[in-house]
Amino acid sequence: MSEMHELILDSTTKILKDICTKELVDKSEEGQWAGDLWEVLVESGITSIGVPESTGGTGGDFVDAFHILRLAGKYAVPLPLSETLIVNWLLAGYGVIPQEEPVTFELNSKLQLEKNDAGFLVNGALENVSWARNAKKILVLASLEEETFVTLLPLEDAYIENNNNLAGEPIDTVVFEDVMVNDIETYIVEENTLQEKVIDLGGLSKAAMMSGALDKVLELSVQYIKEREQFGRPLHKLQAIQQHIAVLSGETIAALTITNKAIDSYDKGTTDNEIAYAKLKVNESAGIVAEIAHQIHGAIGATHEHQLHHLTRRLWAWRDQFGNENFWAEKLAEKIMDSQSQTLWEMMTEEQMIETMQ
Amino acid sequence: MNKLDLPIIEFTDEQVKFRKEVRKFLEDARDSGTFESKCDSWLSGYDPEFSRKIGSQGWIGMTWPKKYGGSEQSAIERYIVIEELLAIGAPVAAHWFADRQTGPLFLRYGTEKQKEFFLPKITEGSCYFSLGMSEPNSGSDLASISTRAEKTDGGWILNGSKTWTSGAHHSHYMIVLCRTAPKDPKYRHGGMSQIIVDLTSPGVSIRPIKFLTGEKHFNEVFFENVFVSEENIVGTEGDGWKQNMQELAYERSGPERMLSTFPLLGELISVLRENNDKQGLKETMKLVARLNSFRLMSLGVAQYLEEGKDVSIAAALVKDLGTKFEKDIAETARLIISSVPSVHSRKQFEKYLAQSILHSPGFTLRGGTTEILRGIVSKGMIAE
Repeated sequence: MSEMHELILDSTTKILKDICTKELVDKSEEGQWAGDLWEVLVESGITSIGVPESTGGTGGDFVDAFHILRLAGKYAVPLPLSETLIVNWLLAGYGVIPQEEPVTFELNSKLQLEKNDAGFLVNGALENVSWARNAKKILVLASLEEETFVTLLPLEDAYIENNNNLAGEPIDTVVFEDVMVNDIETYIVEENTLQEKVIDLGGLSKAAMMSGALDKVLELSVQYIKEREQFGRPLHKLQAIQQHIAVLSGETIAALTITNKAIDSYDKGTTDNEIAYAKLKVNESAGIVAEIAHQIHGAIGATHEHQLHHLTRRLWAWRDQFGNENFWAEKLAEKIMDSQSQTLWEMMTEEQMIETMQ
Repeated sequence: MNKLDLPIIEFTDEQVKFRKEVRKFLEDARDSGTFESKCDSWLSGYDPEFSRKIGSQGWIGMTWPKKYGGSEQSAIERYIVIEELLAIGAPVAAHWFADRQTGPLFLRYGTEKQKEFFLPKITEGSCYFSLGMSEPNSGSDLASISTRAEKTDGGWILNGSKTWTSGAHHSHYMIVLCRTAPKDPKYRHGGMSQIIVDLTSPGVSIRPIKFLTGEKHFNEVFFENVFVSEENIVGTEGDGWKQNMQELAYERSGPERMLSTFPLLGELISVLRENNDKQGLKETMKLVARLNSFRLMSLGVAQYLEEGKDVSIAAALVKDLGTKFEKDIAETARLIISSVPSVHSRKQFEKYLAQSILHSPGFTLRGGTTEILRGIVSKGMIAE
């Protein structure tokens, strides 16, 4: 956590409270690009937080960055903020100055690149690309002459087929059909290492954003049961409702705590199983919380008019992005299968031993 | 940051080393037959000899001042010891309540004489306490208790009864929550006090109530004109409710609220590895992710308790989530591995499974039922 931590979070909260209103999120879902908010985020340095100042970034550490993503989740920020941050973090390792325009990435599959006199000829289709229709560039994976690399391609000549996730956020298909590009920089990568890193960064980003959304859902629910009256008294006087609120609080605190731990260990460079545990638990909590919050709110919470769906639909969408519960559980199962000499308890308590030694 | 954000605890190198030492000691003790690992050992594993061994290691009253027999370690060192004891299923029931609750109560509210008399004996592992709270007509509604102490020359005369008192048939003393003033419907939480009752006093009778397995863990305790010396009141007369409530954060947030069935979870993993059952491991690791999250919460609460912060909501949530989880381990395990659970089985897995299932009703009742805890959480969330 940097010295500026509280200050950065306070100012980000202020920006989002003022600008990222329900109306803005609604409009974004109707297809309007929230350009003004993007400009403010760029000007405040939020799109390059976690990139060292020496590389042209805002500085700050990953604790700052992931807590900002938690706020982005809380306010349902309708912009490719986590996507741009991840691209900026990946390229910062190669000394690349952070992008100020919105960018995205898709690194699970490879594009075909052919070299010719004029540059590169790009072919291939990429599915479920977040925010492709609004992004200016996309970070992709490709191979040429036995070298695998990533490169940032302009999206202007790609064909984009719109698709939306449960929250109405873009998850488009991007098709490059004989698109000519020149002047591109390529950065050599080891494919598996890169993909592991991306799933970790993506999983942790989504866990942080979901933590924020969970926090907001709890806040809305508490507010609702204080205000709404039935049977001549506020809902919070009803024991059935009290039980619901306690379950919501429990799932939220469990999700926040395990995400904070994962953020902490990522920042220290000691991540072992923390991200897997975090995304798995947060996904589980998301389902429970969304169901109960809607039950508490009754029919009004299921209307487009009400704010609740901006959060619950995101929780439903994000829990399947960057690994559902089974995906992460399988990773953990492989891990414990491969470490036969350790008991479960040794495995659970050893993570911390590694951390303190580094 | 908001009220549900807890601190993230990291163990120092010394603490990591210390954990290894504790583990080695316990593994050696188990392997040499000093004790047999069991689920729910903090309630059912009564073994005074083992308690004295733990005491001579300095592992009871670890955070207490040295002059009272403690070793002035932090809450985190104590947490490590407690976790290791529970994870291995060691028999810690005898000294459990004195270490967890009564000692801290004396340190906070006790007289110098009480501290000097009781604390060293507790740390030796030779002085056991029970907690006298519930009564036949006062279960979840604790404020309605009617056991009363009336002033007499040099002390009090105690009449009434307590029930569901864990370990009273083995303990030396009981901290009894009782009325020292008549009930006042306008101030339900007033007029109560905490007094120390020597369970060998004339007029005390203890009747074990058999648990559903036939085992004896909890009791009914009757007080018939029991004389209690006036120096045996703890803290301030009339403040009993408040003092009692402050103990509850310790009672609710510790590792025993999630690790009671841990031996079963560990054994489940071992069996699945032997069987090369990847699907089973996958389901089990979902449990491990939950346990990790609750453990981090419990550690965060322990840290905040040491800093004197109010963590009543988080503590109640640890117990609510953790105790439900203890049950879920058994329910998941029985579906992953078809077996015939029995406490007499020769298979360790079936033994632990039987212990876990049979003890499971208690997990979400003892120390405040899930429903009561959720009421506390809800009121706390509304208030802020």
